[in-house]
Amino acid sequence: MTATSSLTLPQRRRGSRSSASPRFARRSLNLFYVPALAVLALFTIWPLLNGIVLSFTNWNGYSPGRSFIGLENYGRLFADPIFHTALFNTFIYGFGSTLIQQVVGLALALALDRAMRGRNVARAIIYLPVLVSPVVMGTMYYLFFSYNSGGLNDLVVALGGERTAWLSDSNTAIALIVLVNSLQFVGISMVIYLAGLQSIPVMYYEAARLDGAGALQQFMNVTVPLLQPAFATSIVLNLIGGLKLFDVIQVLTGGGPGYSTNSVSTLISTAYFDNQTAGYASAMGVALFILIAVFTLFANTMLNRKRLELQ
Amino acid sequence: MKSTLPGLAAVAVLAVALTGCSAGDDGGTTIEVQTNLGATDPILEVLAEVTEAYTDDHPDIEIDLVPATDTYEADMKVRLASGDVPDIWATHGWSLLRYSEFLEPLNDQPWAKNFNPALAPAMENAEGEFFALPLDTDVAGIVYNRAVLDAAGIDPASLTDWAKFDAALKTLADAGVTPIASSGKDSWFAGNIPDFMGSGGFTDEEFQGFLDGEFQADGYASLLDEVAKWQAAGYFNPDYSSATTDDLGRALAEGKTGFIMVQNYIVGTALGFDPDAELGYFPIPSDAGSPFLVGGEGRAYGVSRTSEHKQEALDYLAFLAEPENLSQLASAIGGIPGLTDATSDLGVLQASYDEFVAPGDVPLLPYFDRVYLPNGIWDTMVSTTDSIITGQADVPTAVDQMTTSFDSLHGQE
Amino acid sequence: MTTTITEPAGATAERGIRFTDDRRPPARPRAGRAGRAVGSIAIGFGLLVAIVLQLLPFYITVTTALKPRSDLSSQWVLPGDEWYWQNFTTAVDRGHILGAIGNSALVTLVSTLLVCALGALAAYPLARRTSVTNRLVMVGIVGLIMVPPLSILVPLYTMMNQLQAVNTYWGTILVMVATQLPLAIFLYASFMRGLPLSIEEAAAVDGASPVQILFRVVFPMLKPVTATVVILTSVAVWNEYALSVYLMRSPDMRTIAPAIGTFFASSGSDLGAAAAASLMSVVPVLAVYLVLQRYFIKGMVAGAEK
Repeated sequence: MTATSSLTLPQRRRGSRSSASPRFARRSLNLFYVPALAVLALFTIWPLLNGIVLSFTNWNGYSPGRSFIGLENYGRLFADPIFHTALFNTFIYGFGSTLIQQVVGLALALALDRAMRGRNVARAIIYLPVLVSPVVMGTMYYLFFSYNSGGLNDLVVALGGERTAWLSDSNTAIALIVLVNSLQFVGISMVIYLAGLQSIPVMYYEAARLDGAGALQQFMNVTVPLLQPAFATSIVLNLIGGLKLFDVIQVLTGGGPGYSTNSVSTLISTAYFDNQTAGYASAMGVALFILIAVFTLFANTMLNRKRLELQ
Repeated sequence: MKSTLPGLAAVAVLAVALTGCSAGDDGGTTIEVQTNLGATDPILEVLAEVTEAYTDDHPDIEIDLVPATDTYEADMKVRLASGDVPDIWATHGWSLLRYSEFLEPLNDQPWAKNFNPALAPAMENAEGEFFALPLDTDVAGIVYNRAVLDAAGIDPASLTDWAKFDAALKTLADAGVTPIASSGKDSWFAGNIPDFMGSGGFTDEEFQGFLDGEFQADGYASLLDEVAKWQAAGYFNPDYSSATTDDLGRALAEGKTGFIMVQNYIVGTALGFDPDAELGYFPIPSDAGSPFLVGGEGRAYGVSRTSEHKQEALDYLAFLAEPENLSQLASAIGGIPGLTDATSDLGVLQASYDEFVAPGDVPLLPYFDRVYLPNGIWDTMVSTTDSIITGQADVPTAVDQMTTSFDSLHGQE
Repeated sequence: MTTTITEPAGATAERGIRFTDDRRPPARPRAGRAGRAVGSIAIGFGLLVAIVLQLLPFYITVTTALKPRSDLSSQWVLPGDEWYWQNFTTAVDRGHILGAIGNSALVTLVSTLLVCALGALAAYPLARRTSVTNRLVMVGIVGLIMVPPLSILVPLYTMMNQLQAVNTYWGTILVMVATQLPLAIFLYASFMRGLPLSIEEAAAVDGASPVQILFRVVFPMLKPVTATVVILTSVAVWNEYALSVYLMRSPDMRTIAPAIGTFFASSGSDLGAAAAASLMSVVPVLAVYLVLQRYFIKGMVAGAEK
């Protein structure tokens, strides 16, 4: 069993008594979660509820005055093409990054699970960007992509190409944002998969080999099924991170050109602080929260359809 | 051992509680001055120098000059929203329209008699109150490199309408110079283009229409059509998206760029790269009337109405307002002083000042968005112009976005 | 060890791997030595590409940090004759980077300790008492993992200001704890559910109280998941920007990410100094990680003996 067990929501198990708590788990045990809940209630839940209240007002974000305008902000969400662009981008950032991170992360984990010289150094280097603040990472890549002095264009010119304005075209810019985010956090997926791989007892592989299974069959019949919990954890964590994406976009493109690379998060910040439509921004915040919750639950349910129990 | 964790945490929290109380309770008075200057801005150094002279005379007062992040406006809004208001803060052009409800009126200050009358339209309300000490007066036009225009045989004073300006752009393009430059990276730059054009780019009925809450889509579209024309002709700098103010300053100094539509601080940036660069500005062309300059409040600092140290803060502002101090600050900015008893060294811009500002025949118009558009639309202006310059959207789409933003913000006011 | 099984109605759970499957495909000949060598070379090459890609931004930043603003040579080129350290002194003198590293270290250390302690405490009843209330609490906590920081910023900051918690270590620490707790509770609870009940039941039969069971029996078994929580929490807190930038306002209280943010101020952005500051901010985390690396991946695996 790995510590990175997958995101499984507690739910009734069919055919078992639903509250079959062990005898020693008395009611008073619940006191243990009171301190944590108190912190969460004050610093997360209360502001969140306040934000929901704000979403029904036309507050500009700094003046004392505000008035209730009912569902108007939510109506605007449905009609606002800029929000739709941001929503679409948010999906691209979320799913695009998650996909790349799983493929590359698993490949790296498999490669670095083998006994070889320099394995730990390689793992550390792959994981290194995770340790860096996304603001810093975005800055580093901004230097690299810039038109005149950027290393990427120097390389393109050296190879006989033309200088390119990488961040002027919305499609290129979106692709680069996905790439930067994926590369930065691929280390997380790699480590989760490494942990998962190391928790698979060697005897299964030995048994499979004795049965004459080749490398591919071992991978399909032993590795993949036994990595289920790791898959679930990695996918869900990456998905939440990708759908919340903010810092990297702010630093690399600021949501531009035009509005074309905004995610919902960056659009919230724009609506809050730049457009002085804090009420509308709060409505977007509520929508984003619901969106992330729905997708995470959906992904989680799909991934937990088939879980293995190994005894 | 895991079981020692809670104990450890408790000890750590206690240690923090004992050592790390909130900053700055040391008996004396601390006045927080929230600047809008970056940590490495040379103007901040000059301000710190002047401030040091003040604290030498007032040892019981500490002045905390806070550098800004690049999200200064957002930071200020959050602070105002939550009641965490600095004693003094930089009003960056908005002392009247955005901040006056939070600021102390300053028209009865001893230095108020020297308030530069050119600033009155932008900074005074109907009662004649103003709310910030103006370090300089903002006067802006289209910035250019004299050597580049001379080489191309262009006289900037002759560019009185957009057709002539377009011809000049073509001449520069043929000469292998980037005709006009802006920045998509620094997210305020592009908005200046329609904002400068707009100040003198509408008929009187259209201006009245804006004030009545009707977005003048056709008039605005004609401004953006001009920008779209430049984009289609390839007149903008190819590094537009990644270029920063620094990059543009360098290009201007090195004679790689003809025109930039931005305030004169770009000149200071350019001189940092080449102190001998010959730079100037000229009035903005107009098809609706005569050429004009735009301007109003430059760098200015106001005092919070609710400050606990209001008297000390006002006293510090009065010190900044002393002629030699204000002259020093205005010279550092390279701007026309905000008070009439100060002088400043305009340096390389003296020639443009003498030609266009001093005679007083070129109208100095307020910024279009500050008078005719609702508070909060600026970012939409920047983004929509950005989408035209990068060719990511067509003019009707951009105008639609402006209309939507205009209507919803008007509904909010 | 096991993970909990949740089976939606109608789903058939595969029970482990059955090695006596008659429909197994016939064994194929194993790949020869040459094939394996080619495979190794391909894997090595792929790894090399990945490593170069991951080091690239750091390299670019190093070359940028070591050059004055007037140096226009390519980012690929290290300054040849003389390294320019002025950017680093600028970062230290003007950006308060060393102070910011100290602030971040303190906030990160205390927040991480609190997250581990509160998280482990909170997870135990949630893992071991399956009442309707506890299920709802757990669902709520998992839901909080998904709260985007931006959606709570303004209400949170307003409240912090009323509590006089802005610009204080304790205020920032509590907010950081709140943002990181949900994931920590979740990880602890999942892990605890995977622990065999029999040990705790035996202790209960021996007359231990629930508190004694928790502290003497359960906590010592949590080392692996604690390593995971420590790494995830400390990295997240160290790098937090969106909220810290508002909670720590004065230059001498700033944590590291907002301190670097000041270098991108709207006037006079100084990329060399920003690059230098960025590098300095990475060094402490990197050092800690290198020390912990030996335990890190081991720590994410519970009792797997390879």
